[in-house]
Amino acid sequence: MSARQRAIIEFMLDNLVWLLLIVVLAAFSIGIPSYFQIGIFTNIIEDSTYVGVMAIGLAIVIIAGNMDLSVESVAGLTAMVTGILFCNGGIGLGYTMAPVEWLAIPVSLLLAIAVGGIIGFSNGLLVVKLRMNAFIVTLASYIWVRGLVLALSGGRSAQGMVPELRIIGIPIDPILLPPSALIAIVSFIGFSFLMRRTPFGRHITMIGGNPIATFRAGIKTDRLILVSFILAGAVAGIAGWLLAIRTSGATANLGVGMLFKAFAAVVIGGVSLKGGIGQLPGVYAGVLLLSAIQTAINLMGLPAHYTQLILGALVLAAMLIDTLKLQIRQRLA
Amino acid sequence: MTETTPLLQLDNIVKNYGAIEALRGISFDIARGEVLALLGDNGAGKSTLVKIISGGLEATSGRIVFDGIERNFTSPAEAKAAGIETVYQDLSLCTNVDVVANFFMGREIVKRFLGVPILQEREMQTVVEKAMANAGTRIPSMRTNVEHLSGGQRQAIELNRFVHWGGKLVLLDEPFAALGVEQTRRGLDMIKRIAAQGIGVVIITHIMAQAFQVADRMVVIRQGKVAGNVERAKTSPDEVVRMITGESL
Repeated sequence: MSARQRAIIEFMLDNLVWLLLIVVLAAFSIGIPSYFQIGIFTNIIEDSTYVGVMAIGLAIVIIAGNMDLSVESVAGLTAMVTGILFCNGGIGLGYTMAPVEWLAIPVSLLLAIAVGGIIGFSNGLLVVKLRMNAFIVTLASYIWVRGLVLALSGGRSAQGMVPELRIIGIPIDPILLPPSALIAIVSFIGFSFLMRRTPFGRHITMIGGNPIATFRAGIKTDRLILVSFILAGAVAGIAGWLLAIRTSGATANLGVGMLFKAFAAVVIGGVSLKGGIGQLPGVYAGVLLLSAIQTAINLMGLPAHYTQLILGALVLAAMLIDTLKLQIRQRLA
Repeated sequence: MTETTPLLQLDNIVKNYGAIEALRGISFDIARGEVLALLGDNGAGKSTLVKIISGGLEATSGRIVFDGIERNFTSPAEAKAAGIETVYQDLSLCTNVDVVANFFMGREIVKRFLGVPILQEREMQTVVEKAMANAGTRIPSMRTNVEHLSGGQRQAIELNRFVHWGGKLVLLDEPFAALGVEQTRRGLDMIKRIAAQGIGVVIITHIMAQAFQVADRMVVIRQGKVAGNVERAKTSPDEVVRMITGESL
């Protein structure tokens, strides 16, 4: 086999989920009337924003060889914090940054990042310093952070987001996408670059592959793992902020169920739960794929619970494809 | 410091674990470019000695002079910084990334763009290709993940990396335990080439044939003491075996 053929096959294997996405979109476009519309496609992208952003941080932690189950609750918390501060109705306090009202955007965003980052930091610290199992640490956070949301809100909700924040969720005329969707896309591009082209991403990937070797090579493995948890928390914080804006408020159970979708997207996107393997663009394709299928189910008028059946089947299929890919690669080498 | 001073001098190294004497005064030298086979039965004290040389353990007493300076390594990182490293099978490579990434692990070439360090992949690949070519190692693509490479190729990456980053003394613990006949032959060739560049090589092995194929000198440890220190040309496998078992001639 020539080096060129080999490179082409490698490229296809690396981008299998994108191919799958194209095939699925084409099949739906042909098979389902009214699927092939700009509005449907922009809707798929918009719908992918929240799970997508959350999946970025989750993927980075998993690539580093760990696990973060807390991202969903963290998003719930930052959504609630944003809702309480910047909503007028319910438990909202309706703060404004008058006279410079647009300041509410950076202030609320930074606050969400900080809150998420702090929880990520506490997860990371327990994993790195006390050598606790990441699964257990973040399972605990998943539970207590949601508890904190309930305590903060008293089980009630905030509604009526201040208009200066709502514009983040309103489609911009020519491109039919809201700024929130653009934030998700920019985040994917930015973090993909970080993982592929900087020493940070390279080291995170190597730690996921062999933590002993990286440690012996003088790489500060503990610090990088801690940073990966902080990033996952911060990015989940952004997801929660976007979610609050989309729903123009926050309920105590906002975001429940997103963890499993984010997980499915990460796995379908080609990230191995064993760590060290996976790329963020694939994860975005995974999120888009889930969204495309969800949209198809909605358009066909099937009951919503079919989504869950298909989601489960997809995760299993992704695992099978992963094994298949490995066998092809071994034959190539 | 001249070329004639030994690379490593061990002077009366003693290691006690409580009342147990693991090493009872070990002394020998290793020259630059010399391949030394460290032999001995299980429990003779080889591993303890190797750990002391590479910073994993501290000697109870005795002097270690490396590169003309007396050293007292308290960690493997210190020994590594001085140019001593132990290569363990599969413990020092990340198989999920490519050859280039492994070669530069933690020492990547970067260029800063707006303060963000960016990996210079092409530059790094050129360096690796050159280093591998110099060592006569053939790997189809430097962009192949290490998991797809053979045991011999992996060992070549580890050794070439060691040499490239200024290593002076490498300790190989049973380097051919998991390799086939052809790979072992290549491995032995590679060791000779590395030694020819002035690097000291210590091989810990049980296989007499390999020791006689590659080593310039044999040091036999028995019950925590040097039971023999002979040039290969002046000894025979039978004699070395007797030194290991302690049988009288």
